[in-house]
Amino acid sequence: MASLISCPHCGVRPKEEFTIRGDASLARPTGDADAGVWYDYVYLRDNPKGRHKEYWHHSSGCRRWLIVERDTVSHAVHTVSDAALAKLGGAA
Amino acid sequence: MPERPEHKPALADKATVEGSGIRLEPLPEGHLLHVIGAFDGDSLANALPTAGLATSTVRAAGYQQWYITGEESLPPSRIALLADHLKGRGFVSDQSHGRIRIALSGPRAADLLAQGTAVDLDAAAFPIGQSAVTLFGHVSVQLTRTQAARFELTVLRSFAEDLYEMLEHAAAT
Ligand SMILES: [Zn+2]
Repeated sequence: MASLISCPHCGVRPKEEFTIRGDASLARPTGDADAGVWYDYVYLRDNPKGRHKEYWHHSSGCRRWLIVERDTVSHAVHTVSDAALAKLGGAA
Repeated sequence: MPERPEHKPALADKATVEGSGIRLEPLPEGHLLHVIGAFDGDSLANALPTAGLATSTVRAAGYQQWYITGEESLPPSRIALLADHLKGRGFVSDQSHGRIRIALSGPRAADLLAQGTAVDLDAAAFPIGQSAVTLFGHVSVQLTRTQAARFELTVLRSFAEDLYEMLEHAAAT
């Protein structure tokens, strides 16, 4: 269930301890990118049915940014990893 | 008139509460040092005696973060000793006046805490020495099991009175 998130640092915690930022698969355009590209990045969002990656901040726990892969239909959480460590190539 | 306002403990007006199976007490405002660094908790604990903090305890507070705490109030020179010792590896930030500790003990302690936090307090999942940063109600706390039936809650100073009153209320019911 997406109402319980398994933080790699803190263990299983309820969603109330987290703040959600949204889609973790978006790539930020470069500063000199076309206005249309920026418009898409800022305003247009997919609304996927099924597996989806999101940024979750464990704001009332370890205060780390996590990447949560969950199913938007079943609310099942498939994977949770530390966002910064994942970007450094670690498993979290 | 004193040059600077005198320090008044946040829970100075609060008394220890003893109920059936429960004891709630404000702890002395000793020291609370926030340490951030790329090492592990054991090496930090091993560094404490060298820094003159042999009686202090280390509590994990998230990824590469710890709190070092104890009953004694430390002058800046003693804190600098630890900072020097960790130089190049970690950073120390004195939070002694910023955070307040509250102790909750007795056979009912875990049940009472379970009313406010989602952390699994079963002794197998949360043994003695274990620490968790979590919510108690809407208040952010660091929860530590210090003995089988004794816990400590560390809370931001401005929330201390509110949390204490929440626990007083829970202890009375
Ligand atoms: Zn966490």
